[in-house]
Amino acid sequence: MSVNAWDSDLLVAPFPRTEPARREDVDRRLHAVDAPAAARRPRLLYGVIAVAGAVAIAGAQMGLSILTTQGSYEIKELTAQQRTVDWQKQILADDVAGLSSPQYLAANAAALGMVTGQPPSYLRLSDGEVIGAGTAAPGTSSIEALKKAAVPNALAGGVPLVTDPDSSLAAGVAAETELVIDPAVPPAVADGLPTPRTH
Amino acid sequence: MTTRATRSPRRRTVIALLVVLTVIAAFVVRLVDIQVVNASDHIEQSQELASGTEITLRGTRGDIVDADGSVLATSTLVYDVSIDPQLAAHGISRRDADGKIVKGADGKPEVIAWPELAARIAAVTGQAPEDVTAIVVDKLASDPASRWAQVKRYVSTETYRELAALDLPFLTFTAVPSRTYPDGAVAGNVIGFLNSDGDALEGVEKLQNSCLAAQNGTLTYQRGRDGVKIPGTEVEKAAVDGGTLQLTLDSDLQWYMQQLISEETARYNAEWGGIVVMEVATGKIRAFAETASVDPNDPGASEADDRGSRLARFSYEPGSTFKPVTAATAIEKAGLTHLSSVVVPSKMTFDNGAVINDSEQHATETMTLTGGLVRSSNVAMSQFGALVDPQTRYEYLTKFGVGEKTALNWSGEPDTGFRLLPKDWDNQTYYTTTFGQAFTVTATQVASVYQTIANGGVRMPAQLVESCTRADGTVVEPDLPEPVRVIEESTADEVGLMLENVFAQGTLADDIKIDGYRMAGKTGTAQIYNGKGGYKKNLYFTSLVGYAPAEDPQYVVLTVFDEPKKERMSSANRSVFKKAMTQVLKHYRIMPSESETPLLPLTD
Repeated sequence: MSVNAWDSDLLVAPFPRTEPARREDVDRRLHAVDAPAAARRPRLLYGVIAVAGAVAIAGAQMGLSILTTQGSYEIKELTAQQRTVDWQKQILADDVAGLSSPQYLAANAAALGMVTGQPPSYLRLSDGEVIGAGTAAPGTSSIEALKKAAVPNALAGGVPLVTDPDSSLAAGVAAETELVIDPAVPPAVADGLPTPRTH
Repeated sequence: MTTRATRSPRRRTVIALLVVLTVIAAFVVRLVDIQVVNASDHIEQSQELASGTEITLRGTRGDIVDADGSVLATSTLVYDVSIDPQLAAHGISRRDADGKIVKGADGKPEVIAWPELAARIAAVTGQAPEDVTAIVVDKLASDPASRWAQVKRYVSTETYRELAALDLPFLTFTAVPSRTYPDGAVAGNVIGFLNSDGDALEGVEKLQNSCLAAQNGTLTYQRGRDGVKIPGTEVEKAAVDGGTLQLTLDSDLQWYMQQLISEETARYNAEWGGIVVMEVATGKIRAFAETASVDPNDPGASEADDRGSRLARFSYEPGSTFKPVTAATAIEKAGLTHLSSVVVPSKMTFDNGAVINDSEQHATETMTLTGGLVRSSNVAMSQFGALVDPQTRYEYLTKFGVGEKTALNWSGEPDTGFRLLPKDWDNQTYYTTTFGQAFTVTATQVASVYQTIANGGVRMPAQLVESCTRADGTVVEPDLPEPVRVIEESTADEVGLMLENVFAQGTLADDIKIDGYRMAGKTGTAQIYNGKGGYKKNLYFTSLVGYAPAEDPQYVVLTVFDEPKKERMSSANRSVFKKAMTQVLKHYRIMPSESETPLLPLTD
């Protein structure tokens, strides 16, 4: 019974072979393998390199791991520090909020007796000439930034003035009412305008 | 050569192969189904049910700044304080200075009871101790298994840290994004505010929400069974912070105008008042002040009507402040000059039957166009205006902005414009349109008319928003209408000269004169519709609008009062106008004029 190459391959494939099958071998009869070639003595050096490599890798891995762990502790500590500093920053920002507002500054100026509202005068540097009214400021201010303060600021309300700690801008009136926005309805123009009295 | 014998194993092999292939194909189909077709569903499920965790990364809402960059609105955090009633009711063990648990006589740890702890919390939050005690007691009474109750909402960072320092394990804190407005009510009417949920309700906060709003991002990662994040599985979609919105307003000037209008409104016993300061060359609004502006830090403190901007939402028949428009139309279309004259009685019946009165009795005289403006004569302006056909006058008024929406595009901006088209004008309307009646405008539109005249006849779109700078640094300019050439430059110059004479020769001259500066402008005392088909008796919407320096106009200032009662006519606006204009000239360091107003003849 003739066996073709394909079947033969199937038959012999499971067996270990010392050398790859070649086409010419296919028609030979089966025979016992020669005695295996004497194994060469393994060189010590390779072994040492392999073991040393493994130890080095393990060591490096351990080192890296330690460093990473240590790094994450440091990160944790720094993150906590940053959070505390963020809180402090926010607390301080809350404390000074409103102190830079124009109404607070103007109220401080008014408490010092400063006045505003006079027409400007300018001094021309080239010839020293005064341009504009050139009159002294009168004793009255065009606005009363402290006594009649009309622009509220919940952040600065009740904060003592720097220039006069006894006074402060009024705190906003707290009236807890529902926030409903109702756009003002424009007045409609009626039919039939009466006799105009515009001037 | 094939025999039966050789064919049989081969067929078996082929069949086996086919079976294997079929199975593999089935697996492949399923694999594609899982990995490609329904992949997103499965990923979602895995995130939801199994190992994945998704964290929302919050972006920060953008700041609102003024023309100089001063911050008008910024974002911050406040905290909600909650409590676990069950744990709280148990109290905590007392510890000594070293942190050791103090034991009582019976050897058991000594317990600090809830009321004492509540008192400690109350001391920090500023609540009454019994109220805090009641929060837990009441909650447990209604639901003994309760694990959550609110102690206080929106506490400051300082309070939060002090509460955290109490070291009470049953308190939890949730950060809530919040808005703070360092300048309080300065420009509050323009800025608007948010509600407690962070939704914009009013002003540019709402109108420019698309610029200011932040986009939240997400951080997803997978966790192992022990809850530890699996390295390398993090997928971060970064949050995008909101853009910085720059307004054209100047916060210092805005504050001054708000303070000023409040004092003057009280002085003249008006319902409310407003001041608009507009830059001539650009149409940018530098101050948009009105009485009773809301403090966005605490909108609840304002009456509901005061929380928006009246000034942007109020429309009125402008009256005499529109007489210069008639003058400009007559100069361009009827060939008039400032010297053209008509005979002016104090009451005149026209050929079509219309009757026009001047506000005050006066002897019949021959008035020039300048005189018509300086004396603010309805009879004179009716005659000058009637020289031009209604359709052309209508077109001029429209070019000056009547009937258009302002470029501010404000929410709740009123429907303004003409009551009737020119072809439908009745005999009375035919004349009243020459002095600012039968149509309505907003205060901003009146300011724009004077900006146009001061700017050589070119109307610039009114502007409150300078730009939006997005988080990535790109600057987005608002989409504004093109400037409009309304009248010729020569016409604008001639009308401007006549308006200067209104200030130099009118009855108001002494009251509004600012030493060293040439100014031009006009008063208006507009009647107010009473809601019943007529006008309110003896109550007016008064205005005074002008610009300076007249020889090189820089700023338009418009002041308005609603129903002043101490002085009922536009004379009420003189002191507020003078003070406002003085401040503008000083604030922007505008040099005094080096010439005097040339005086034009008023009568012929």
